[in-house]
Amino acid sequence: MSTNERIWEVFRQEDEGDPMVHAGNVNAPDEELAMHYAREFYGRRGESHRLWIVARDAVTELDDPDLLKPPFDRSHKKPGGYIIKHKLEAAKQRAASEAGE
Amino acid sequence: MDDADTIQPLNGRPPYETGDAEAFYAHVGTGGKVEADDWMPEEYRAAVLKFVEMHANSELMGVLPERDWIMRAPTLRRKLALTSKIQDEVGHAQLLYRVAEDLGKPRAAMLQDLLDGRTKFHNVFHYPTRSWADVGIIAWLVDAAAIVSQQALRDSSYAPYARTMKKICWEESVHIMHGRDVVLTMMNGTDAQRAMVQEALDRWWGPLMQMHGPPTDPAKDKDLHWGIKAKNNEQLRQEFLSIYVPRILELGLRIPDPNLRYDEASGRWEYTEPDWAELKSVVTGHGPASQSRLQFRRDSYADTQWVRDTLLGPADAAVA
Repeated sequence: MSTNERIWEVFRQEDEGDPMVHAGNVNAPDEELAMHYAREFYGRRGESHRLWIVARDAVTELDDPDLLKPPFDRSHKKPGGYIIKHKLEAAKQRAASEAGE
Repeated sequence: MDDADTIQPLNGRPPYETGDAEAFYAHVGTGGKVEADDWMPEEYRAAVLKFVEMHANSELMGVLPERDWIMRAPTLRRKLALTSKIQDEVGHAQLLYRVAEDLGKPRAAMLQDLLDGRTKFHNVFHYPTRSWADVGIIAWLVDAAAIVSQQALRDSSYAPYARTMKKICWEESVHIMHGRDVVLTMMNGTDAQRAMVQEALDRWWGPLMQMHGPPTDPAKDKDLHWGIKAKNNEQLRQEFLSIYVPRILELGLRIPDPNLRYDEASGRWEYTEPDWAELKSVVTGHGPASQSRLQFRRDSYADTQWVRDTLLGPADAAVA
C-alpha cells in the first residue's frame, strides 16, 4: 500500500432515525475522495439516508473477552434469568381459592 | 406516465432547508427524524432538551430509594439483581445526559440545576421506602408505568433519543421481571409477607396514578405535535391500567380505588381522580423525601468533586 493511501470505514444509515451500521471500507488518499468512493459503493442506489466515513486509525477497538464476556453468572441481568411460571400459577391458585372461600 | 418515469424522494418526505422552520415542523409532524448535527429550530431544541433532561434527572434520582435496600436484600442473588438494576439506572442517566449535552447544555449545569431544585424529576422518587416489598412494587409497577411511556419514546422525532430508548427499554424489561419475581415470591410466602406487599401497593397506588401527569389538551401539546413524544398522558395511563390491573388482581392483591373499573362501552378505565395538587407539590420539591434525596445528591456531588477535578483539570496537573 503506498504511503498516500488510507483505509476509511464506512457506516450507513438506511432510513431516517436508524442506527449507523458498519457497511465496509474504502481505500482513498484523503477524506474527500473517501467520501466519493463511499457514496458510489454504499449510496448509488439511494439505499442510504446518511453515511459516516471514519479513518480506520481513528477507531479504538475492544475485543478482550475477559472484559466483554467474563465467566460469571449474568442471568440476573437478563429477562430469562427470572422463571416465574410456577410462582405465578401458585399465586393465582391461592388467590382463586381465597376468593372462593 | 409509467411509475418508473417518476422520481420519488428517498423516504417520501420532502427535505427541509436550514432555517426553514415551517418545513422542519412539516417533516417531524409526518414522522420525520432529526439527528444531533441537523439544523433544528431553537424552540424544538429547547423542548427536546427539557424533556430529556427531566428524564435523565429521574433516572439519577430514582436509584436512591432502591439504594437503601442493597444492604438489606434477603439473598445474595437478590442483592446482585438490585445492585445490577441500580447500575443500569445510573447508566440510563449517563446515556440521557449525553443526549441532552448534544443539545447544548453542559452536564455540570444540568447537575447544578437538579441539586438547586431548578429542574424536576419524576414524582415517584420523592417518596420514602418502608419495606422490602417496596423494592418489588417499585421494580415491577413503577418501572412498568415508566416503560409504557418509554416504549412510546422509541418513536421520538429526535432520533438519538429514540435509539437510546431502545437500549433502555430492553434493560427495563429485566427490571420488571426482577420486580415481579420479588412480588410473586412474597405472595407465595407467609401472611405477613402478603400483607407487606398489600401495604406497599396501597402506598404506591396514588403516586403511580399521578405518574403520567394530568390529562392534557392534545391540541396544545407541542411535544406531541413535534413528535418528541408519541402518546399523551391519559393514553399512557390507560395503557398501564390495561396491562397491569389484571396482573395485580390475579395475585389476590386489592387495588385501593373503589371507583376503578373498565368501562366496556367507552373502552377505557375509570378511576378516582388522582390528586393533582399532591403531584404538583411533590415534583416542586415538597414531597416527603424530596429534600433528603436532594441533600444526599448534594453531599455525594461534593464528595466526588476530586474525581472531576482530576479528570477535567489541566492535563499536566495529574503529572505534577
